[in-house]
Amino acid sequence: MQERIRNFSIIAHVDHGKSTLADRILQMTKAVSEREMREQFLDSLELERERGITIKASAVRLFYEASDGQTYTFNLIDTPGHVDFGYEVSRALAAVEGVLLVVDASQGVEAQTIANFYLALEHEHTIIPVVNKIDLPSARPEEVALEIEEVLGLPAEEVVFASGKTGQGVEDILEAIVHRVPAPKGKPTDPTKALIFDSIYDAYQGVIPYVRVFEGSIRPGDRIRVWSNNKEFQVDRVGVFRPGSLEPTGGLGPGEVGWLTANIREIGDTQVGDTITLAPNPTDAAYPGFKPAKPVVFAGIYPTDTQDYNRLRDALEKLKLNDAALDFEPETSEALGFGFRCGFLGLLHAEIVQERLEREFDLDLIATAPSVIYRVMRSDGSIEEVHNPSMMPDPGTIEVMEEPYVRLTVYTPEEYVGPIMQLLQEKRGRMEQMNYLGGTGGSKRVELRYEVPFGEILYDFHDRLKSLSRGYASMDYEQAGYREGDLVKVTVLVNDEPVDALAFITHRDKAYSIARSMVDKLAEVIPRQQFAVPVQAAIGGKIIARATVKALRKDVLAKCYGGDVSRKKKLLEKQKEGKKRLKSIGKVDVPQEAFLAVLSAGRE
Amino acid sequence: MRSLYIHVPFCPTICPYCDFHVVRRYGGVVEAYLKRLAEEAAALHQRFPGPLETLYFGGGTPSFLRGHELERLFAALPWRLSLGAEVTMEANPGTLNPERLTLLKHLGVNRLSIGVQSFQDTVLKTLGRAHGRKGAFQAVEMSLEAGFRTSIDLILGLPGQDFEADLREAAAIGVGHVSAYTLQIEPGTPFEIQGIRLDEDLEAAAFEMAEQILGEAGLERYEVSNFARPGEESRHNQVYWRGEFWGALGPAAVGHYPKDVEARGSRLEGHEVYSVRATNPPLPRWLAGEAPSLEVISPLEYAREALMLGLRLREGVDITLVEGRSGLELWARLKKTVRELEERGLIWTHQTHLGATRVGLPLLHRLILQFWEALRA
Repeated sequence: MQERIRNFSIIAHVDHGKSTLADRILQMTKAVSEREMREQFLDSLELERERGITIKASAVRLFYEASDGQTYTFNLIDTPGHVDFGYEVSRALAAVEGVLLVVDASQGVEAQTIANFYLALEHEHTIIPVVNKIDLPSARPEEVALEIEEVLGLPAEEVVFASGKTGQGVEDILEAIVHRVPAPKGKPTDPTKALIFDSIYDAYQGVIPYVRVFEGSIRPGDRIRVWSNNKEFQVDRVGVFRPGSLEPTGGLGPGEVGWLTANIREIGDTQVGDTITLAPNPTDAAYPGFKPAKPVVFAGIYPTDTQDYNRLRDALEKLKLNDAALDFEPETSEALGFGFRCGFLGLLHAEIVQERLEREFDLDLIATAPSVIYRVMRSDGSIEEVHNPSMMPDPGTIEVMEEPYVRLTVYTPEEYVGPIMQLLQEKRGRMEQMNYLGGTGGSKRVELRYEVPFGEILYDFHDRLKSLSRGYASMDYEQAGYREGDLVKVTVLVNDEPVDALAFITHRDKAYSIARSMVDKLAEVIPRQQFAVPVQAAIGGKIIARATVKALRKDVLAKCYGGDVSRKKKLLEKQKEGKKRLKSIGKVDVPQEAFLAVLSAGRE
Repeated sequence: MRSLYIHVPFCPTICPYCDFHVVRRYGGVVEAYLKRLAEEAAALHQRFPGPLETLYFGGGTPSFLRGHELERLFAALPWRLSLGAEVTMEANPGTLNPERLTLLKHLGVNRLSIGVQSFQDTVLKTLGRAHGRKGAFQAVEMSLEAGFRTSIDLILGLPGQDFEADLREAAAIGVGHVSAYTLQIEPGTPFEIQGIRLDEDLEAAAFEMAEQILGEAGLERYEVSNFARPGEESRHNQVYWRGEFWGALGPAAVGHYPKDVEARGSRLEGHEVYSVRATNPPLPRWLAGEAPSLEVISPLEYAREALMLGLRLREGVDITLVEGRSGLELWARLKKTVRELEERGLIWTHQTHLGATRVGLPLLHRLILQFWEALRA
């Protein structure tokens, strides 16, 4: 049985058709009936469907009757495709033996294709290159196959050509999985070793870890032990993933992928990446090589209604359970009250977490602008990390200030190199390398390697890169440590009072222009009050920009006679409701947009 | 109950900003309307025999009824009028002629409220009005010559309107009363659907100018949007703003009644009730004899409404009077808010009264919300 198990993942650059291909595989293995088939079957989160991207890894077990007459069990673990979710990819990859590396037949090799390829290579996985979307008129499959050979070193003759949309070539992919991906190793008789690669929370069954068994087995009734904290639980049920449901089975053996319930109530007890073994006969080593996610972007999240603080904490704990990269700790803001400073993998991740909190947990939130982590060396020799701009120490006590840099890789057709280099210069980037990659087709592809402050590419860089390359350039980055920078903290005052949640840190050369457009933006989004409200930006005690929210001049309905009383009363009450959604800071009501004003400030 | 409102829902054309209950006339409908009105009037008269001090015909366009229909309308009302009673009728310029005015006078109407809206042809066209500049002047002059107390409606703050010109003409024409409105874009009206937007700063400027220009002509601002020479104020409308009771007849008409009559023996008994608001159903259901829907007003609700309405008046709200009516200690509850707003120059207090200052008046809704908040605590 074990020799007919194949565990694999699909990795691709965003938009290269991974989800469509996964859907088609589900359909061809009869995992889903035609009727049940909906697009992006594996993308079950409401948000994922709406945005058309995969956010979380998701697993499914399939059966395939191969040309050799045997039926194989496939475990497909889907992976996210966005730069922010590298950690989720690495987690999924730890649980499989092979990957399909999907490349779009018109777009060719892109930044994430390469990044994902190296991730798979680190795991020593079998890599099956797939050139997808060959049905498109603009497809150039042969050229892309050569590009894969040239850039990634995978022989062009190993490439499988397919179209997730029409189903062409998918049979070949399934056969390649059978023949090229090795069966899982591991003995059923060895001490149990299983890796937690994801988990969900169910109100009735508690935490449900998703596991990949490497050695031994897990059965209902077993007493399991979690490696890192030595906590023990009695297994209640185990099972496998079927499309759309969790199907109970009698047990999970070596090489199998599934889930278990064990009345685990504490969310922190079974962390993703941890190893599960059996208490009576534990394994002697945990599964190695997991890279714990490190949040690189921080933002404050506060309930609009201070009463919701505990609900927000519970919601964050539940989210963290299947979003291991999310990090949070309590924080207090003078302006916003009690909330949490949350760490994220990137801006998209931050946005998604906020949306999930609001939708799935029905919370009204105020989020402050995301910021990177700065490092401060004080005159007394101590070193501090600044996760929140308002916590930056007095400049007088700072010896050196450092900001995080990333190693940024941009792949682009040759003709866009000029504008992209200009953009990178504006972002204070420093070029490390420029390589011309294989000259397939009309235009050459260029790889640009830069070191650039992470804070500079955080907000709008990707959008601008896409727009000035008409969508052709792609990017990937990794953290590259800290460099010294001439950084200043800009304080923002509303109605002459500093608002801690609006403070930001920026390079001195850019402080003026960002401050200028920030106060203008604030004056625009803060609703008029009964008095004029000055909005100022300052470095230390020095005001560098100023704008005014004009005083409200009129807030009264012209007409009100005997027949209108009821309706006018309701109108007024509605107005009161509307005010509730604003945050009162001193005497001024401030909307959520204001806290994100710095994101769009100082940029075209 | 010494005041009565009568809704006459018929109009020759329907204006694109109107959200009142209006219909075009069709065969037999006026006949049916008058018959039902007579029944309703008789029943109300049983409970409130009068005499009436104010009577108000609103619409719609009451003056759009034909001569013999107007006669029957008045004949349907069994009330006696007290000496010097105010009888107002709303009228559109196109519906007035010397003959019609003689008839109205004969029937007892002594005050006309004319829907002029503007003296500029371009503005009148935007508003979809049937009359032009000339028609507007003629109607007002006729009304004044025939000896009616005359009020005109003006719309202010429309994009493209020279409202200074309109205000100067209104001040010069010799009327004793002007109702100046900023257009409100009501949900479901054509203006709302077309996405017409108004400029808050422009509207504020229009009202400041109205106060100045009309004030110079002796027309004082006595309510948010009403200006009058002393003694020429609308007595009927003041009944609304002062939180008094009034009766109502006709489709979609709203009356405000003392609780004892409506509540006796009904499901309202046992609740804490100050008064009852009764809203008639729209025309077809009203014709079929459907009873009004009732809204129970508790003492606290009454106080909230009294503040909302009374603060619109320059004379302010008689808080002590409302205390007596509601049995609530309003001064005590409002004390803190009153002090804070008074310090900021937004309101004034004088003996029994509380009112908005000239600075506070344009921001009335903010003030009302703050008072409501204070009442809740």
